[in-house]
Amino acid sequence: MFLALRELQHAKLRYLLIGFIMVLIAWLVLFVTGLAQGLSSDNASSIQNMKADYLVLQEESDHRINRSVLTGEIWNEVQSRPGGNPATPLGVHMNTLTKEGSAAKFDVAFFAIDVESMLAPRVVEGTMISNTDADLVMADRSLKEDGYRLGDRIVDQATGATFTIAAFTEGQSFSHAPVIHMNFEGWKALQPNPAKPAPIYNAIAWNGTPEQKEALVRDVSGIEMITKEEALQGIPGFQEEQGSLTMMIVFLFVIAAFVLAVFFYVMTIQKINQFGVLKAIGAGTGYLVRSLIFQVLTLTIVSLAISIGLTYGVSLLLSGIVPFSLTPSVVLLCSLLFLAVSLMGSLLSLYRVIKIDAIEAIGRAA
Amino acid sequence: MTSSKLLMDQVSKEFGDGETSAKVLDNISLDIKGGEFVAVVGPSGSGKSTFLSIAGALLSPTRGRIWMGDQEVTRLPAKQMNQLRLRHIGFVFQSSNLIPYLTVRDQLLLMAKLANQHGQEPQRRADDLLHRLGLSHRKSRHPESLSGGERQRVAIARAWMNDPELILADEPTASLDSERGRTVVQMLADEVKLRRKAAIMVTHDKRMLDLCDRVVYIEDGKLSERTQPIVL
Repeated sequence: MFLALRELQHAKLRYLLIGFIMVLIAWLVLFVTGLAQGLSSDNASSIQNMKADYLVLQEESDHRINRSVLTGEIWNEVQSRPGGNPATPLGVHMNTLTKEGSAAKFDVAFFAIDVESMLAPRVVEGTMISNTDADLVMADRSLKEDGYRLGDRIVDQATGATFTIAAFTEGQSFSHAPVIHMNFEGWKALQPNPAKPAPIYNAIAWNGTPEQKEALVRDVSGIEMITKEEALQGIPGFQEEQGSLTMMIVFLFVIAAFVLAVFFYVMTIQKINQFGVLKAIGAGTGYLVRSLIFQVLTLTIVSLAISIGLTYGVSLLLSGIVPFSLTPSVVLLCSLLFLAVSLMGSLLSLYRVIKIDAIEAIGRAA
Repeated sequence: MTSSKLLMDQVSKEFGDGETSAKVLDNISLDIKGGEFVAVVGPSGSGKSTFLSIAGALLSPTRGRIWMGDQEVTRLPAKQMNQLRLRHIGFVFQSSNLIPYLTVRDQLLLMAKLANQHGQEPQRRADDLLHRLGLSHRKSRHPESLSGGERQRVAIARAWMNDPELILADEPTASLDSERGRTVVQMLADEVKLRRKAAIMVTHDKRMLDLCDRVVYIEDGKLSERTQPIVL
């Protein structure tokens, strides 16, 4: 890569400028990706972390957990099916709560679960609640930042029911609100008509194969089943939020491809005569093509490395202020995509280089 | 025949096909031996460039046969033509056509790299060539900071780098004043004699012809030869 390196060295300013643009674009790509991931988990980590293959909802509930209402009969029917698929009911209730003795209000999502089931969250502080004590709940630890501590009493604004925080959990949010897990004894207090004995659920978490799922939908009337992914899409605002960020990312990739394509194309056009001379004195097309690809890759890899550093640097500065989550595997995926896009951008130039005829070097006084 | 550096036997070249074809070279035969420095002169459009392209393995002739040394090179696939140009032919173009981002020494080393030669030997060869052409003090300069004559000398050094059998020079003095032009051509002639290789120079400049062993004329695609160099 004798030629490629020396040209990079010689035309430092040019390549620095284009490199700078690439760094900015890659940085933006990574940052927006991290933001999208962060927002997505801030929005719905409870669903993402849920250890269930499918959710059973009431039919016609449009994939939305909070629109679905399942009766105890349906739960019994699902539960008692042969095959022994793990299943557990889930109650979801969005509401506003206050701390006892304080006026500050917070939006939360109450999740009623069987705490011995697969839906039990991971406790990071305090002790796991039991299925019997209606007073105890477990709150996502993001509430700690709002001043809640273990043993604090919380008041549900709609019903006036009070609970005690017995534990803090991690990575539990739904529709951008922290999730408070409770058992079904506590759940009764949140029902619009607590006197009514029949329990009401919103969904049933269910594990099984796609075939078993088909059979279940066929046999039990009045239900539909959705995957976790579909449940995410059904959270109000989730699709819109992720969609607009994804669109930005896609555009950035397209822009990166075009910026690189134009830069290398102009550079190649400028050097057509030079390529003609090189071919005439015996440089093979393969050598020149490798040279160009080497330059594109060097530029992209160096820009990527810098932008990855910048992204993590900025995310450290902003941690806690902005929801941001960027795993190494996502960075790797983005980087590979970026490399692929930059190679695609150089195709036009490669085509020109291949087409150049050595004979152009003869009889030219350029 | 073994001592021929370039042998062209009844070579013709036509462009286009059928009705619209134009005959640019018409039945050209030429035999160049080692140690010969041949000038090719002729008016514009006479076919000089086509002649040089065919001699330089950049074009294949329509008819006729071409040998370089013992190898027939009339019709070779593009890749072999490339290798032939790289190892057996040295080019000196109009206004030198050096690579702008390479230093003088790297211009020469590039030729070795292209021919897959690595290590100390090519570097020694490059230094030696630059020394002989009086360019040692310019080794690490880029072409932009050289004078026209120096650039053309670098081009000559580059052409000799892979020790080719044949040097082709396309109006090497076009961008030089006559004194510098003469120095450059003189150097080319000296190297040809020294190495017992061959060189063909296409030129408009009749003042250079006395430095050549033979002068051939191309007019309307036909070649004619005068054995004695003429001095005007």
